[in-house]
Amino acid sequence: MSPVLIFVQTLLSGLLTGGLYVQIGIGLSLIFGVMRIINFAHGELMLVGMYLSYALFTIFGIDPFLSLIIVAPVLFFVGAAIERIFIQPVSRAKEENQILLTVGLSLIISNGFLLLFGADYRNVTTSYSGSVFYLGPISLSLPMSLSFLVTLVMTVSLYLFLMKSWTGRAIRATAEDREAAMLIGIDARRMGLIAFGIGTALVGVAGSLLDPIYYIFPGAGGPFTLKAFVVTVLGGMGSITGAMAGGLLLGVAESLGAVYLSSGYKDAIGLLLFLGVLLVKPSGLFGRSRL
Amino acid sequence: MRAMKPLPPKLFVWTVLLLSILLIAPSLWGAEPIRIGVITTLTGPEAPLGSAQKNGYDLALKAINAKGGVLGRPLELVYEDDGGKTQGAISAVESLIGRQKVVAISGAYTSQSTFSAGGVANRNGIPFLCPTGASDEITRQGFEWVFRINAPSSVYASSMMEALRRTVQPKSLAIIHESTLFGSSTAKSIQEDAKKNGIEVRLVEQYEKGAADFKPTLLKIKGSQPDVVFMVSYVQDAILLMRQAHEVDLNPKVFAGAGAGFTTPEFLQGAGRDAEYLLTNTQWAPDAPFPGSKEFAADYQKTYGRPPTYHAAESYATVLVLADALRRAGATDPAKLRDALNQTDLMTPFGPIKFENYDGFTHQNRHAMPVLQILKGQYVTVWPPSFATGKLISPIPPWKERAQK
Repeated sequence: MSPVLIFVQTLLSGLLTGGLYVQIGIGLSLIFGVMRIINFAHGELMLVGMYLSYALFTIFGIDPFLSLIIVAPVLFFVGAAIERIFIQPVSRAKEENQILLTVGLSLIISNGFLLLFGADYRNVTTSYSGSVFYLGPISLSLPMSLSFLVTLVMTVSLYLFLMKSWTGRAIRATAEDREAAMLIGIDARRMGLIAFGIGTALVGVAGSLLDPIYYIFPGAGGPFTLKAFVVTVLGGMGSITGAMAGGLLLGVAESLGAVYLSSGYKDAIGLLLFLGVLLVKPSGLFGRSRL
Repeated sequence: MRAMKPLPPKLFVWTVLLLSILLIAPSLWGAEPIRIGVITTLTGPEAPLGSAQKNGYDLALKAINAKGGVLGRPLELVYEDDGGKTQGAISAVESLIGRQKVVAISGAYTSQSTFSAGGVANRNGIPFLCPTGASDEITRQGFEWVFRINAPSSVYASSMMEALRRTVQPKSLAIIHESTLFGSSTAKSIQEDAKKNGIEVRLVEQYEKGAADFKPTLLKIKGSQPDVVFMVSYVQDAILLMRQAHEVDLNPKVFAGAGAGFTTPEFLQGAGRDAEYLLTNTQWAPDAPFPGSKEFAADYQKTYGRPPTYHAAESYATVLVLADALRRAGATDPAKLRDALNQTDLMTPFGPIKFENYDGFTHQNRHAMPVLQILKGQYVTVWPPSFATGKLISPIPPWKERAQK
């Protein structure tokens, strides 16, 4: 394969992976933007989506892409419940305590799944799990391409929701200036609840999308929480467009780094890029609080 | 001096009662079992294979105790789970030696855990048997208390390389390996063998266990156009590697996988049609030509409802070896047991077991590893000719020409 083709293939591959990172990170960005809470349980919430899809697939034979219709609302309620029960009581506490709370949540969730499903690695193998389609000599993963489309649709919908709908604008107002929003009659607590729910639904969907192409185990959440953080901070905390750019950039950087530099240190390359961006532009690529 | 008063009647009766109970008790409890410690992986990504090991151990235990145990005492296996982590293995050995007071230890599953645990056992003067850990280093430390049943990773490399040289005759190869001891050590052996035989190693790519995306690496390998792509992985990574090799349309003359992840039913299930034509080698297959091999496989299938992996055969043989050594030693004393192990010359369903010192290895059983190819969804032994039950296919059809799912 010619060097040019290899580059194009690597780039496209990286974009598809980046799409997944966007899906994972965008929820965290939204939550942070509105509530200024650093949610260390984000990866574990994705795990809930993974296991839920797995269960729907194994018990009812529902394809992970179709089960999104169930997973998204369920995860919305899970997120809202967590927000109401655990997060709201500490919303005015010190940041360290809030972080400790989310870390505790992540431990409870991942160990809960360890109890329920055991430590065995689970696979969701669909008929298209390894399928590819070809654009000339370039091969693209079918499930990842479908996931990219899903992410595109969801991100655009989120953007439109935040820009055009009343609730969306209220959420943005709360993110921009909580006190001012309350002064003009917006129920800031309710906006936080909704934002947390949406953020959780988004990352839960990421879990379903990952099912056909990765594997499921109770410890799967951790590394993805890290990716979500990188995406969020890279794009500028609270910025949706930033998270989109950040996710794609991370995916492409890892992909190119693996091919042209070193496979073993591919994760490190993504993180180095992250450090580099922060050094130059500390508030992230797109600044903050501009949903 | 006053005459001694007779003991009060109640106290006297109780004392006699207590003494008699203490004297009779041992025979009431039965002969005390001989305790052997076992370290395996029962949680975490390698759990299915750790449990295959456990099944092998249990099956052998049942067989031996059914025949009256060893030295008139039943054998008992004390299991510890290392969770697939080195620290877990070290804690396990220390617990087995310090708290459980076992006479010997067998373990673990991963090379990393085995290596560390073996070191601890050696420092404490307790015989340690390795059934599965492959990395060469395990029996190259001059440890006098560590014995290995299975072939070391250099044999994974050399047996596969020999098979490749005699059939596929590759001029170049690329290696992709996981980054812990097993992967690195095997990759090194492959490179040494290639160099010795004039095969060009175009690329050596390592990855972190648990990576989700190998496509960039596979693309890089595709660019270098090797005759053979040689992979060293545990099962989950192995599944993703084959799927993604299909996705990037990587078409070497043949894919080779160095045992471990590639030789398990989970791999066949997870990789499906993408596993077809893969060459892999194994420590043992159910159709191995050793006495008791087929019976062991049938017994395992009946008891656990699935065919045994080579790990189960290894752990089964380990218990047989320990029982045999204990009988010859006539005691559970560590030094006597170690000496008896040194004299082992036993045929098992896994193969003949004799511990030798050669080429820098100590207490290593010279076990031969056959090469398998996945044909029509089944593992078929294709090398060496004396073991082969099928013909090795090479070059394999490119992905686009294979029957679609």
